[in-house]
Amino acid sequence: MVAGAWICLVAPLAAACLITLGGQRLSRRAAGWVATAACFVAFGGAVASFVGLLTHSASDRQFVSTAWTWITGGSYQSGLSVLIDPLSTFMMLIVAGVGALIVWYSIGYMDGDDEERRYFAYMSLFVFSMLLLVQAGNLLLLLAGWGMVGLSSYLLIGYWHQRPSAIAAAKKAFVMNAIGDATMALAFFLLIQKGNSLEFGVLGGQFSSTVANLIALGLLGGAVAKSAQIPLHTWLPDAMEGPTPVSALIHAATMVTAGVYLIVRTHAIFEQAPKVADLAAGLGAATLLMAGLIALVQVDIKRVIAYSTMSQIGYMFLGAGIGSYPNAMFHLMTHAFFKALLFMTAGIVIHALVDEQDIRKMGGLRQFAPKTYWAFLIGSLALVGIFPFAGFFSKDSILAAAMAKGGAYGYILWAVGLAGTFLTGLYTFRLLFLVFWGEPSAFVREHFHPLGRDVVAFSLAIPVGVLAVLSIVGGWIQFSPWWHPVETWLQIVAAPIVSPASWQEWTSIALSLLLGLSGIAVAWALYGERRLAVPRVAWAQRTLEHKFYFDEAYDALFYEPAVYLAKLLRRGVEQPLIAESGQDLGDDTRDLGGFVARAQTGLVRTYALAIASSVAVLAIVFVIVR
Amino acid sequence: MIALLGPEIAWYLGVAAFLFATGAFGVLLRRNPLIVLLSLEIMLNGANLALIGFARNLGDGKGQIFALTVMAVAASEVVVGLGLVVALNRKRITLDVDLLNTLRG
Repeated sequence: MVAGAWICLVAPLAAACLITLGGQRLSRRAAGWVATAACFVAFGGAVASFVGLLTHSASDRQFVSTAWTWITGGSYQSGLSVLIDPLSTFMMLIVAGVGALIVWYSIGYMDGDDEERRYFAYMSLFVFSMLLLVQAGNLLLLLAGWGMVGLSSYLLIGYWHQRPSAIAAAKKAFVMNAIGDATMALAFFLLIQKGNSLEFGVLGGQFSSTVANLIALGLLGGAVAKSAQIPLHTWLPDAMEGPTPVSALIHAATMVTAGVYLIVRTHAIFEQAPKVADLAAGLGAATLLMAGLIALVQVDIKRVIAYSTMSQIGYMFLGAGIGSYPNAMFHLMTHAFFKALLFMTAGIVIHALVDEQDIRKMGGLRQFAPKTYWAFLIGSLALVGIFPFAGFFSKDSILAAAMAKGGAYGYILWAVGLAGTFLTGLYTFRLLFLVFWGEPSAFVREHFHPLGRDVVAFSLAIPVGVLAVLSIVGGWIQFSPWWHPVETWLQIVAAPIVSPASWQEWTSIALSLLLGLSGIAVAWALYGERRLAVPRVAWAQRTLEHKFYFDEAYDALFYEPAVYLAKLLRRGVEQPLIAESGQDLGDDTRDLGGFVARAQTGLVRTYALAIASSVAVLAIVFVIVR
Repeated sequence: MIALLGPEIAWYLGVAAFLFATGAFGVLLRRNPLIVLLSLEIMLNGANLALIGFARNLGDGKGQIFALTVMAVAASEVVVGLGLVVALNRKRITLDVDLLNTLRG
């Protein structure tokens, strides 16, 4: 069990090192297989840990394995330790499992790229970082993993470094994430000051409400930045500049859900700071609504799915914020399945259309790529939460939990969540109808090229198939009105603090199913059958296309003032003080040199006189002083 | 310890100081490089006399060894100095140190 966890952690790192050091000696294809194999080994290790935990009784499933003491300072110390408990094993299985499938898919998708080796080294590094994050035995190590996933995300978004837009997106993601890292680090400093430890256990200690609020706020800042929630969400849509498997792995299935994991992992502190927990739920609700609305007008296939990711993580934040941790984690799992599936199918579409991502040029792909269509349909149905697909089981229980929280706030969250399901149905099937239905567009007829029957095609198809199956059956693990193994499994780490009654479950299920279906129906009328004209309200359209002006606002608030200040400093300080003073310094030194040079008469006698008189003066001084 | 014979140490030092001062004035005041060199030698000999006087006073041979070293250095210095004087003469340059002021700053 312990060995399994370490193997799980180290295997991707080993692959990253091997690919990096192997260089040209490793063929491109081999690099891909090395990375894939390492991820499968990691998955094997995760399964071993899982099985190992199963053999212990339910109350005895938390193990810490420390390799060595990592940092010591005064009475504080942190070990390089991994934690094996139900929550970390849950995440290990998702990260390693979905990760392995996506790295495998990459072999097909990245085939023929100039720098495949670099890509697979980065991917392995990412999987390692993510596993470090979820397996970390204390908060310090978690922060290390947290920073490293940020780094690998930066590297992968900017993978196509010839594109200025990709570099800009990478920088944006890094800066946004760095804000979250900073607030997290501040929270940790406070925690060390008050509790002198960064073990997870310290979070359960008693803190004054101000301290608890500050710590929870700092952690929430990190979670919000990593999970692309309002107000630090603007980097995620831009991150779609990276290769599609990267979008699937990092920006849908694993990294962006790290914020949810963090909240669930540190729920003890959030329970001491209920206002901050409410804030988390509120931010989640706001994000899910806003992202759903923006997704309605996006025209880039990947951006639509990206906004949908933000929206779904909003649900998870909502669930984690109101204290329904198992449901948040369960939705995280099903979301990893169907969102990775959607991204990978979108990747196949993009691949088949020679890197075209604009959905206005697509249409009628159903006739050309029926299997891809079915996979996309399964993913979409799972996303909207239609019975019996995965999303149905996980999303509704979050809504029921919001209802169970009660009070005006709980019901507002519930209503927003329900509105979100309608939007999900609408934007998801808008995408599906626009891309796959209708008459094939001229662009599609001209550019479509089907996959062959080679290793590329199989690498693309098999992971998609596996994820499609998981999107169908993955949700059946838990059906909250009747059976809840996920909740039982996570009980000792994160017991939920709300428990919906049966009528709340069923009401939520019925309403969200109804709203999801009506969203699909509206999408069908507008984009499938095209019976109704798409309503266009100029100001609404403009607001949505500008993504609620967040980028513009941040530009005006932070970027422009910074540039203005920089220019001011240049005009007011640098040029007059630094640039001109440099000139003056040079001139003055030269003048001084000229003055001193006059002592250099060229007459030997003067020198001799100077020496003699100096010696005489020194001699007199010595005699007097003695 | 050998018993001291002859005058007191102060006499030796007086003569040494006189020699040194004579040499120093010669170096400072004369313009002919040959005389400057000669004056330098007188300075060195003044210093030598002081060294030997002290050595005798303290009954320590080290001062005498110093004096021998100074003589060796003086001999080599005179070789260089006279070489320069000969070189100047060959180039038909007037033997006057005040005219050799090319290094003026």
